[in-house]
Amino acid sequence: MSESIVFTPLEFRHLTVKNRVMRSSLAGRFNNYDGTGTRVHINWDLKFARGGVGAIISSNAPVHPRGIIVPNYAHIDRDETIPFWRELVDEVHEHDCRYLVQLAFSGRQRDIGGIVYEKGWSSTDKPEPIHGLECIRMTKGDIAEIVEAFAQGARRAREAGADGIEIHGCNGYLITQFLSSAINDRDDEYGGSLENRARFSVDIVRAIRAEVGDDFHMQFKISAVEYNKELFPWAAKGNTIEESVQVCKWLEEAGVDGFHVSSGASFPHPRNPAGEFPIEDTIRGYDTMISSGKHTWRNYLIFRTPGLNNLFKHQWEKAAKKATDGRIEGINIEDARAVKNAVSVPVVVTGGFQTHSIVAAAIESGACDGVTIGRPLIANNDLVKLWAEGHDRPSNPCQYTNKCLINQVENPLGCYEPSRYSSHDEMVRDIMSVYDPPEYAESKSATKAPAP
Amino acid sequence: MTDLLFEPLRFRNLEVKNRLLRSNIAGRFDNYDGSGTRARINWELKFARGGVGAIVSSWCGVDPRGFIVPNYAAIDRDETIPFWRQLGEEVHEHDCKYILQLAYGGRQRDIQGITYPKGLSSTDKPDPLHGFRCERATPEQLRQIAQRFADGARRAREAGLDGVEIHGANGYIFTQFLSSAINDRSDDYGGPLENRARFLLETIRAIRTEVGDDFHLQVKLSATEYANAFLPWIGKGNTIEDSVLVARWIEAAGADAIHVSAGSTFPHPVNPAGDMPLDAVIAGYDGMISSGVHAFRNYLLYRTPIIGRLMAKRWSRPPDSVEGFNLADARRIKEVVSIPVLVTGGFQTASVIRGAIERGDCDAVTIGRPLVANNDLPLLFAEGHDRAPRPCTFCNLCLYNVIENPLGCYDQRRYDSREEMIAQIMSVYDPPPFVSEPAAEPAVTH
Repeated sequence: MSESIVFTPLEFRHLTVKNRVMRSSLAGRFNNYDGTGTRVHINWDLKFARGGVGAIISSNAPVHPRGIIVPNYAHIDRDETIPFWRELVDEVHEHDCRYLVQLAFSGRQRDIGGIVYEKGWSSTDKPEPIHGLECIRMTKGDIAEIVEAFAQGARRAREAGADGIEIHGCNGYLITQFLSSAINDRDDEYGGSLENRARFSVDIVRAIRAEVGDDFHMQFKISAVEYNKELFPWAAKGNTIEESVQVCKWLEEAGVDGFHVSSGASFPHPRNPAGEFPIEDTIRGYDTMISSGKHTWRNYLIFRTPGLNNLFKHQWEKAAKKATDGRIEGINIEDARAVKNAVSVPVVVTGGFQTHSIVAAAIESGACDGVTIGRPLIANNDLVKLWAEGHDRPSNPCQYTNKCLINQVENPLGCYEPSRYSSHDEMVRDIMSVYDPPEYAESKSATKAPAP
Repeated sequence: MTDLLFEPLRFRNLEVKNRLLRSNIAGRFDNYDGSGTRARINWELKFARGGVGAIVSSWCGVDPRGFIVPNYAAIDRDETIPFWRQLGEEVHEHDCKYILQLAYGGRQRDIQGITYPKGLSSTDKPDPLHGFRCERATPEQLRQIAQRFADGARRAREAGLDGVEIHGANGYIFTQFLSSAINDRSDDYGGPLENRARFLLETIRAIRTEVGDDFHLQVKLSATEYANAFLPWIGKGNTIEDSVLVARWIEAAGADAIHVSAGSTFPHPVNPAGDMPLDAVIAGYDGMISSGVHAFRNYLLYRTPIIGRLMAKRWSRPPDSVEGFNLADARRIKEVVSIPVLVTGGFQTASVIRGAIERGDCDAVTIGRPLVANNDLPLLFAEGHDRAPRPCTFCNLCLYNVIENPLGCYDQRRYDSREEMIAQIMSVYDPPPFVSEPAAEPAVTH
């Protein structure tokens, strides 16, 4: 098994990763409301570092406080956040694991906007279509401010000792809102033609290079195909693979060291994270979002109405089933191949990977150079070690029921699929283990407790 | 001439520098599992710096099954002690005492979290407002809960804190036993008042057995329950006549002080009394829809024009009726006990507080919302202000925002701008948990 290509190093221009597996960005609401990081977040990432992945892509890390998706994700929006990231990176490095900070800005896709900024910024002033999240159309001055915020985020990541950054350019967040023909309705130089829609991304890549120099790893995550009709059949389809390939060429030229292929013009999207729509968990978790948008109350009523909710579920699950004959794993492989054929930098791809032979075959076939994994690593933090021990697939694999996703609105991120555990208590213990050790532990205190 | 407000308050085992205590105020500043954070310490330091003589901690769960919402700091296991020690040490630097409030939600658990979906109570009936479900606790379970309180008190003592308060008020577990409107048991813990008080008195004794006789222990009590204040078909619950008896028993069981509050639930029209801000309720209550069997109905009613406003009107009290609402009850209790009596209820006027102490209504006051509005209220009093220039309006936006947002004053009328308000609220996160070491490596420059 040791000769598997999966366990050979992945070489980027300025970064070597010990194997071909990265943890994809996964965010739980583990931090403070203002985006300052906590011990819990470090505990979370260490689970994966110990489990054997070659690199971790951080949680969605906003570069500006207006760009949050929800409160309680760790930000990289001011210099005061650097000590947290440094501590996190130092501890991850102890496990021979690289750490990339995902620089992000939500735009209009702000599930819980929080109290600081009442509205998000976007390429457009049209509300986000699923929840009806309202937004303000960015001026050119606003665009310049956010481009600079990305550059400063990259500088902070570098100062914190991180091994690189990933620009979150996909899944419906701000950069998608510029790239997408289905969303961007501007008539200035940031809208209209593909070249104009890509200008914001190219500006960001150049600004980061100018700030951190040429020797710091920078990869770009892109929704290679937006599949916008999968969400709303009456909507425009969004960017095609041909358009994305062209965008990637421009970005490579601007200085990108790698691409990370995902899909979908929104998050969540029927194809990402592909799988089940968990009705019961959604009813419990979505209520908090009712006050977030103009369509959230309607959605909540649909989710709790028998019949209607099953119709929604059927519609949501149909797209992924159609795309892969019901097989979630490797849903984006062919999109990755198209990108890889057009660029000379390495390409990694996400989408439900948890079978060693499938990953090895994807790499050997030239579709990608490595994979990134989200949900299957939540289910089995030690997936890579299991592969190394000779398991092709974990005995208790991820079932793609997406209960992790919906629970993280109100509860700690973790695997919430009860059928994977022998009891509810065992599941809860596994989830709650992220809080160990606590921020204030005995060793931190100078004085010993007096006997009672 | 010394001001009565700044005369020391002497309990049997504790001396507090003045007559102004911060009442328990929580805020979802901590981790989901109840482990404490830097933000919690920052929050408490605001009040210590502001000049109160003592702080009664946030609502602090002694057992995970009794948590009211996730993200309140708990004292449910020994691993929490280092956090409380750090907090206590920093508060002490400001010549301020710290009293930890030991609490258990019972059936009143606004967001139950994933660990224990159902609470334990005196009854197995869901609470009438939200419909939080519960199981009837067995006598054995009650003994275990009493021991959890004792363990919590021991941890508070080990952490170097100055005392504990049993949260015996506001609808949580002890109210669920004390209250004639809730307790429907037919065993030794239900029926006549002395049976309904048994669990509280056993808990006081369990704490004394654990921590000894020389550690400050006070009990918070809803002197009058007004259980039918909002839902008129419910019994009215305990009256002041009942509570006068309970207060005597509490003293005899070994408590060092009684803290007077009101109401059979939390929140309740009389606590925190004032306005019910309907828009904030609608925005915040959505997160509780999955918590109780009546919560969706309530949410629909709040959202329905006219009905929502009528509900808010029935719940609300005029702001000028709030300050000192519980003073008459405090006086009745003070008449029958020899230990100090503290009272809460909208205090923010120096002359009102002074008058209450002079008359013998109480020995000191505890303050919640007015200190959220003006953290430095005691310093303002010391400077000669009878009231803060921008007093608390009892709008209760702080309360309804706490479900989803950081605790703080959300009354924009009290600020020059929205930005100023947000900056004030978010200041609780400064300093962050991870800060540069003094000898941090120099920043990389390019």
